[in-house]
Formats: sequence, C-alpha cells, structure tokens
Amino acid sequence: MTEYVIIGDGISGSSAAETLREEDPESSITVITDEGEALYNRILIKEHAKGKLPEAPISIHEEDWYAERDIELSLNTHVTGVDTDEKVVHTHEGDEIGYDKLLIATGGTPTQLPVDDSDAEGIHHFWTFQDARKIRESAEAAEKGVIVGAGLLGIDFAAVCGAQGVEGKYLMRGDRWWRYALSGEGAEIMHEGMREVGVEPVFDSGVDRFETDDDGKVVAAIGPDGERYECDFAGVAIGLTFNTEYLGDIDLEQDNGILVDQYMQTNLEDVYAAGDITRFYDVLLGEQAQNGSWGSAKEQGRIAGVNMAADDEAEEFEWVSSYSITHFDFPFLSFGHPTLGDEHAERKYSDTEWRRIAFKDGKVVGGVLIGDLSPQSKLKQLMREQRDVADQKEVLLEETVDLDDLAPPQEQ
Amino acid sequence: MATTTSTGRSLTLRRVDSVAPDATVRHIDQLDDRTLERFYAALEGGCQLTATGTDLVPGTVVVATDYYRVEAA
Repeated sequence: MTEYVIIGDGISGSSAAETLREEDPESSITVITDEGEALYNRILIKEHAKGKLPEAPISIHEEDWYAERDIELSLNTHVTGVDTDEKVVHTHEGDEIGYDKLLIATGGTPTQLPVDDSDAEGIHHFWTFQDARKIRESAEAAEKGVIVGAGLLGIDFAAVCGAQGVEGKYLMRGDRWWRYALSGEGAEIMHEGMREVGVEPVFDSGVDRFETDDDGKVVAAIGPDGERYECDFAGVAIGLTFNTEYLGDIDLEQDNGILVDQYMQTNLEDVYAAGDITRFYDVLLGEQAQNGSWGSAKEQGRIAGVNMAADDEAEEFEWVSSYSITHFDFPFLSFGHPTLGDEHAERKYSDTEWRRIAFKDGKVVGGVLIGDLSPQSKLKQLMREQRDVADQKEVLLEETVDLDDLAPPQEQ
Repeated sequence: MATTTSTGRSLTLRRVDSVAPDATVRHIDQLDDRTLERFYAALEGGCQLTATGTDLVPGTVVVATDYYRVEAA
C-alpha cells in the first residue's frame, strides 16, 4: 500500500487528495494543515470581508468529507521538517509521518511591510478565512482606511473599504494600479471604479511608517513625502512569501517558489509540489512560470495526484488561467501571463472597456480584458493552439473578435 | 435508424442582493470556459441560458459583478 502525504489543505492539496483516492483506492493518504479548518473557498473570502456573504457557503469540505474517503486530515498541525532521505515528515507535536510520495502544497504567507509598526492593531493582511473574519470585523468599525499594494490582492482591500463604507486612500508606489499589466488608459478605468466606491488612489506614494495610539492601534500612515493619512484600518498586500522555511536545508531546487516540471515533480525523487508555491514549467509559455489563480492551483493538484498515483509522467499540466475582479460595475479578467511577453497590443473602446493582449515569440501568452469579456474564450483558444498571430493585432483588437478573419496558420 | 434529440434545459439568472447560509455559491473564476462564456452571454442577452454543456444547476449563486442565482426557466 502506497503512503501519500500532502502538506497543505488548500485547493491544490485537497484536489490532489481527491485524485489520489480515485486513482489509488487502496492507498494511505494523509493531509496536514496548520489551519484550524478544512478546505474553504479562498476566492470567496473577500466577499465575506466585504460583508456580503455569510460564512457557511464559503466552506467546501467538512471534516466528514475526508473521513468518508478514508483520508487522514490533521488540522492545526505545523510541519517542522522533512527528511527526504528517510522519507519522513516531522510535526510540531513530535510525530513522524512516513511517506512513499510527498506533495508540498503550502502556498504562501502575505509579506509584511518592512516599516515601523507594520504589525499594529488595525493593520491587516489578507490570505486565510480567519484573516477575512478579522478584516470584516475591523472594517465594520472603521471610518478611514489606507491600502498598500497596487496589485490583484491589494484591490480586494479597496473593495472591502468601499463595501463597508470606509473612506479609503489607496497608496501606490507608481503612477497607476497594476502597472506591470496595465497601461495608463486601462488602469484609469480601474481607478475610476475605486473612486466610485469611495476609495481614492494616491500615486507615487507608499508608507514609510505607521503611527499608533497608546494602545498600539494604528491611527495613521506616513507617506515617503511626509504626508499623513489618518486611518483606523489598513490593508497591506505587497506580495506573498512562500512557506518553505520548514523544509530546512533539503536540496530542493527553488527560485522564488519551488521549481517543478510539467508533471509537478520537483528535483527530488518522490517529492512533488502544487499550487501557488510552485514555479512550474509552463508548456504553453515554454519556460518556468507562476500563477496564483484558483483554477490553476486546483489543476496542478489534480495533475500531481495523477502522476503520483501512476508513479510515472502520465499527464502534464497545461492550463490557461483566469483571474477576475468583480468588485466594480464592470467586469475585469486577466488570463494567462499578461505581465510577460515581448510585445503587446491594446485598445480602449469606451470609458469602461479596454483590452490588452501580450505576445511572446508571436504567440498570445496572456491578456487583460476590462468591461467586455466576450473575446476571452477566443484569445484563450489562440493561446492553447500557440498560433503565431502577433502580426494580426488589428483582428484581435476588433471589438468583436472573429478568428475566421485571421490568416490561416502556416505549415511548419 | 434511431435518432436522439437532446433538448437543453433553460436556466435563468436572477440578480439577488443576499445569499442564504445554506446556498451553494461559486465565484465566476470557478466556472469552466464554456460555462463562463454562456454566463456572460446570458447577462447580455436577457439572462436566459441553456444548461447543456455547462455545470450550472438551479439554486447555485454565482458571484460576478453582482450576485446571480441560477433558476430553472
């Protein structure tokens, strides 16, 4: 009987456990998590923090789910070390759990702002369900908020402020939100969305330090120019630090994430990784890449499970990811790798409609759609087909994309 | 030769302001590409969509720019 151990019960770890049970019914499966609750829907917790969604629908698995599948679930359990020679996982309670195959799916932890008083009461990071509960409670009582981190995670704090009636200042280091993927025209649509919910973007700014009261509660953020922003709520989302400390000095290849191939295999025999923590080989991109979307993590977990059970390179990971922002009146969709590529095309169609497509070596590798998402399936199709279309940008920027208008693919 | 005709169920999307604790809720990023395409097409075309080929079932609430409950038409 093969013994599988999965560290992490997020969507990738849970997806792997489910797949392993289906593929290898007689095996032993153990899932270890340091969280106190079983799998929940991480992409819905922002809705809870906004005060719009009750807790119950966010839970995905009750503990019974694991028992019914004969999967051992260890909640509130910290892994303190992994011995890949002896094939043993050590926990904080002194337990040693042996494995034949190991999956690392521990994701990351929000990076703290490296400034004074960044851990003061009222300053929040957003990653777990427990974080969301605290953010909701804090925002409900707050009047003025400050947000730091001009990316996909930071904008959730802007939405929380908007939904909870908190007057927000969104402090951004550059001249626009998500400057790596959006030009000024695209970003301005997002800025207007923020303003409409009561959050004011502040550009070329940031936080040099926080001020607290005598009780240690945040009362203001001080910008690099000395500007003082009063706040009783602050949200910091400047990135993730991957949870690999417990792996110690094992010879696992890492490069801002654990390196895996398209089969989710690390460089160590019988050790796999899946989810946000990986820097995986993207077969469509032709290089290592990262992705933090729900669908990508779920599929990586499934692929890892298939290959672990097969003890072979049975199926490779090929995925076009999607990440939506649903906080404003207009939809927003990022797909693939919009910040990568060697050229791009973009167009604004109206005050709430904008499109950007990123190309690498002539092929679509990602993009951002704001307002009108109708081309998303066609652009993803081109990405999967790896068609050379960068010389036909006008067709792809037409308001209605018709793939029949593209020149036929050239024979290689 | 026998032929089979499959008629897709019709579904409706109804915008809702609140969600019951026992509701099944899915974020739009959990929908597969085909379902996502039909979902947005339905929003633009009067909120009717065909269930065939999608994984939406009545009672599910989908979180998009608003919350939409899937109902049998």
